[in-house]
Amino acid sequence: MRGYGPIYTVMEAYHGLRANSLVNLLATGTISMAMLIVGFFLVVFLNLQAAVGAMGERLEVSVYLKDGLTAQEMDFILTRIKSEPGVKKAVFLPKAEALAMLKKELKGQEALMEGLGENPLPDSYEVTVDAKYADTVKMEVLTKKISKFFGVEDVSYGRQGVAVLERILKLVTYGGIALAVLLGVTVVFIISNSVRLALYSRGQEIELMQWIGATRWFIMGPFLVEGMLVVVLGTSLSVGILAVLFHALPQEVVLFLSGPGGLEFLPPPVIAYMIGGGGALGLVGGLVSVNKFLE
Amino acid sequence: MIHLYRVSKIYEGIPALREITVSVDKGEFVFVTGPSGAGKTTLLKILFCAEHADEGQIIIQGMNTFRLNSSSIPYLRRNMGFVFQDYKLLPHKTVFENIALALKVIGAPHGDIERRALLSLKKVGMEKKEHLTPLKLSGGEQQRVAIARALVNEPQILLADEPTGNLDPQSGQEVFRLFKDINMKGTTVIVATHDWETVQKMQRRIVAMERGKIMSDTKDPVLDRAAMTKFKQEPSSR
Repeated sequence: MRGYGPIYTVMEAYHGLRANSLVNLLATGTISMAMLIVGFFLVVFLNLQAAVGAMGERLEVSVYLKDGLTAQEMDFILTRIKSEPGVKKAVFLPKAEALAMLKKELKGQEALMEGLGENPLPDSYEVTVDAKYADTVKMEVLTKKISKFFGVEDVSYGRQGVAVLERILKLVTYGGIALAVLLGVTVVFIISNSVRLALYSRGQEIELMQWIGATRWFIMGPFLVEGMLVVVLGTSLSVGILAVLFHALPQEVVLFLSGPGGLEFLPPPVIAYMIGGGGALGLVGGLVSVNKFLE
Repeated sequence: MIHLYRVSKIYEGIPALREITVSVDKGEFVFVTGPSGAGKTTLLKILFCAEHADEGQIIIQGMNTFRLNSSSIPYLRRNMGFVFQDYKLLPHKTVFENIALALKVIGAPHGDIERRALLSLKKVGMEKKEHLTPLKLSGGEQQRVAIARALVNEPQILLADEPTGNLDPQSGQEVFRLFKDINMKGTTVIVATHDWETVQKMQRRIVAMERGKIMSDTKDPVLDRAAMTKFKQEPSSR
């Protein structure tokens, strides 16, 4: 296409978009709806992933002690805990203090504490683990070992919460991938159809261009750019709609859905990938139709 | 410049060309004549690589078209101009834009397009109608624009398929006069036509075809004598 080519290609794509404005408008609208669903899943996925990550990073292990231990026995347990590799610090938390903390956390919902009678909470050691031991496997080994110590009732590091979130994350990931593939195919189908209509409306011109020595890429170029532009426009529109909806969420809903890091919108690199990926799908859709037509 | 050796083409079992052997030298003016179905258009299409021959060898400007891959065909076509019976002008583009398209297609520099397109229109006397769309032109004018488009890239070969088929006799004469001028400047011209009267008047090489075969060639005296007798006996059929 030499020098002159890219400008010609983009201008022809622009004229093509205008010439078939209704078809392209419908395609853009449909694609923006499809990409809106993808964007919604991405928001859910990324926030869930952040929540799982944040929970996994909590490096505190609670070692609950059995009732009736002597001070000597408790010191012995402390020494054993401290001697474990990866343990940074261990602080004793008496049951009375634990209850006071719980009451503080449940402020405004005191009714829950009524009828408890005697303090049901055990004495415990709050163990801080080195960051190098932050992965699930090492934490599992450590907690399992401590739980077998004499005088230890139970050990917890919030693994149940993490496990539940991980299961949901897995579900969202697989569901999202399946949906993204389905919507990707839909986008390719929509684009290939709108490009096909453009090709038929300009069939005479294409045939003539072939007769006067146009290369395949010279003919294909504008149609491929046209397909890409429709998807890029549709995706940008969907990101815009998603941003408006996200910021219009009531505060209560945001608080309910928020993870430890708060509820976040799609970060700019993800938006860029969405638009770029959309453009690539548009290219594929265009290629499918143009190749078929030229053959 | 063009060599065809035992070229055959069959459409759905019906032979359109049967073992055609013919050569055209650089700068020659050749008329290909014959009744409908004689194979004239097929022959031109094969020369233009719009159709593939089933058998035989075709050498155009030193290139064996059988060995050309599809991506090389556009580059071969850039050295050839093609004039169609139905002009094939784009109705929504102006005369100038129709010519400019042929330059854009080959990636001509933007600055050259206007100059070269206007020069080509001037050659066919259509420079004053550059802003009009083809539908506002007469048939003869449209064909002149089509010729300007075929010539704008200065091809070495000009092929024309029934270029006067849709024109009145006067416009037809103008078109042939243009072809003569183009040929005088060194371009090889091959015209497929029914217009036997003009063909005789122009006194150029005539290749007469019938049912896919070359029946006579004025360049080949042996083939010519027998066939021309037949042609003269049946002038109404062509």
